[in-house]
Amino acid sequence: MLSRSNLDRAGFLLFLILAILPMAASLAYAAGYSVGLVGLLSEGFTWQYWARPFQEGNQIFASFVFSLLVAGAATAITLAIALLLVLAARRSLDNGLLAHLSTIPLALPGTVLAFLVLQWFSGSGIAARIAYALGLLQTPAQFPGIVHDQYGVGIIIAQVIVGVPFFALLFAQLWHNQRIRQLMELAQTIGAGRRQRVAWVAIPLLLHGAFPTVILHLVAVIGVYEVPLLLGAQSPQMISVLTMQKYGMFDLQQKPEAFICAILYTLLSLSLIAVAWRRMKHEQSPR
Amino acid sequence: MILTVQDICKRFGQQTVLQGVTLSVAERRTLSILGRSGCGKTTLLKIIAGLVKPDSGAVRLHGTEIGQQLPEARNVVYLYQEPLLFPHLTVLENVAFGLRVRRASASEIASRTGRMLEHLGMESHAKKFPHQLSGGQKQRVAFGRAIIITPNVLLLDEPFSSLDPETRATMQQLFKQLAQEYGIASLFVTHDLKEAILMGDSIGYMADGTLTTFANRQEFINHPDYGATKEMEFWSSLRQQTTTEEYAASV
Amino acid sequence: MSNRPANLARIVVVATMGLLFAAPVAYLVLVSFAKHWTFPHLFPPQVSAELWQTIWGREQGLASSVAASIFLSVVVAVGSTLVGFVAARYVSYHRWRRGLLFLSYIPFVMSPVVLGACVHVIFLRLGLVGSTAGVIVAQMMFALGFAVIFFASFWNAERKALGEAARMLGATTLQTYRRVLLPISRQPLLLCFLQTFLFSWFQYGLTVLIGGGTVKTLPVLVYLYTGEANIYYAAAASLLLMIPPLVLLWGNRAITLRFG
Repeated sequence: MLSRSNLDRAGFLLFLILAILPMAASLAYAAGYSVGLVGLLSEGFTWQYWARPFQEGNQIFASFVFSLLVAGAATAITLAIALLLVLAARRSLDNGLLAHLSTIPLALPGTVLAFLVLQWFSGSGIAARIAYALGLLQTPAQFPGIVHDQYGVGIIIAQVIVGVPFFALLFAQLWHNQRIRQLMELAQTIGAGRRQRVAWVAIPLLLHGAFPTVILHLVAVIGVYEVPLLLGAQSPQMISVLTMQKYGMFDLQQKPEAFICAILYTLLSLSLIAVAWRRMKHEQSPR
Repeated sequence: MILTVQDICKRFGQQTVLQGVTLSVAERRTLSILGRSGCGKTTLLKIIAGLVKPDSGAVRLHGTEIGQQLPEARNVVYLYQEPLLFPHLTVLENVAFGLRVRRASASEIASRTGRMLEHLGMESHAKKFPHQLSGGQKQRVAFGRAIIITPNVLLLDEPFSSLDPETRATMQQLFKQLAQEYGIASLFVTHDLKEAILMGDSIGYMADGTLTTFANRQEFINHPDYGATKEMEFWSSLRQQTTTEEYAASV
Repeated sequence: MSNRPANLARIVVVATMGLLFAAPVAYLVLVSFAKHWTFPHLFPPQVSAELWQTIWGREQGLASSVAASIFLSVVVAVGSTLVGFVAARYVSYHRWRRGLLFLSYIPFVMSPVVLGACVHVIFLRLGLVGSTAGVIVAQMMFALGFAVIFFASFWNAERKALGEAARMLGATTLQTYRRVLLPISRQPLLLCFLQTFLFSWFQYGLTVLIGGGTVKTLPVLVYLYTGEANIYYAAAASLLLMIPPLVLLWGNRAITLRFG
């Protein structure tokens, strides 16, 4: 049969060996470590490490709540700005100035992004200098601390900077693919006013079409590392930073907690991916 | 018999698609198979071409079982409903494809494709790319590309269903000519009663995964179950009616 | 005209967003030419090209970082694009197509460092930690997930049928790839190469975790400079880091516009 071409099979085997198997094996190892079955501390099966995240004041629990809130806030702000942008400046996004300039934020790696936010919004940063020039403050210390802050404002700003052009371009594309213009004209002939057309036709259709991507974006923001590493506070920390920190500690007691973090994060991501997955189009292969 | 198919069965999950299908095609002959969409025609053709594996049964070419042979070794070509041309190759290169992969000499390729394009009436389009052709022209090229390698059997899956009636009639004629000229045996699947009768030397009727074959056209036409008689009655009654009306009007 | 205010608002929105989008590059260029640019100066008090002349020196390691980054990203991108292309074809014919695709989403969206922490042990055992090879294999893990998802939607009914048509006309597997599948896939192959290249080019956490500090790519350097509060070097390294993606994305957009 055609599907059984040896070349295709070899490629698939490589994919299994290089990606799926190590991933599965390492998660199994993490699970084993977290219940004391493997690792240097191994003293036989125990649930003791798993009890920790649910104890009062544990970092892991706080970190998950914090990561979800930061990701949720960043995504919501991103979507709001991107929607405004596509409604106000679609032509420019299609083929104008914004079409070209929007690639700049997309070319920002996490480390550079964090560096920029640090330079712009720290106490002696550009924003503070503008405030100084306007006579709003006299010393850097008076500038509100929005980097390394406990609300994650710096992280949110950074994620919005890269998120907005991405979603604006996606919305501009959906505008054409989903024939939104035609549907809005149709709504107009039925008697919908401009506000109604935007609120009842354009925005719901854009959000509906972008839904799987929004969820995947959320998963990605929950797991960001470089940005909170440079911009986050000591506590609470984003999940990736906390996991790496616990994993790298010399205190071996912390290692099982790193793996618990990883497993909980994997479960959270998988359930979110499953939500997005149900709404994606899957072409059924014809026989 | 050039092609014999014996007792083919195929299931996809819970669904039985083919239930013991048996047929044979003689050299230089066309067997047309009439059936509605979803009756298992496409699966049958793909099994013969080697694109799908049957659960049981045998496919023989010149009496040799070919169940284990790869599609490229069978020399059986399946023509899709939509003329599926290689979009990156010109008309000329599409037709020459089968000769190129067989490493035929440049002069042989040139002369054989040239002759084929002439047969197809496509000489003036040789340098064009598929997206510059009409539906009928694409189907011509697809035919030429298949027939040039003189396949053991040509399998046609509703090849004209997307064409307008006029082009369709021309293409039916063209196909008959080509098959004659190159001595090709073929299996022609269609849901159009007239086309089945027109194209086939013998006819089969397929429904719910089973196939009934008729030795010749007449036997099929005379059978009360398959609608040919009814169709003829309809047209002749219509003619009678109009002649009566004309008569009445003239009086 | 009644919609003049609306047009004005539109121009203001486009101009503001354009400025914001362009700000990162403009700022980085400015910093890389600035001297003594501290609070409360809104603009650099002194400008010089001195940094760009001295930064290539041996002890800065910038030149070797650029080389390491390019090598790593090209290997990861070529490897994952080719393997992903072929593997996705296999997946698209497989009866567990959906399940296998779901698995591919795991490396695609999940945090490389979190999974990386779990994989670290395996890499330690295999002696891959602290080597360029280790970083390449680790990055491939994630890039492959992307490549398989990318090509899974590419292998639709029509493209599969083109491969089948070639086989029936007598082409072998290799001939089918060489004469039909690769030529009709140039565009998606290039796109996947660009995307996986960028993934690798941007990667910091995984590189540090598996590279163990010995593999110094550009993102690692940016992080080091930022940590040392050496903003001028950080800006220069950042710019170098952004040039290839910008060139690729601008080219990429032209490609999508031309063929989309």
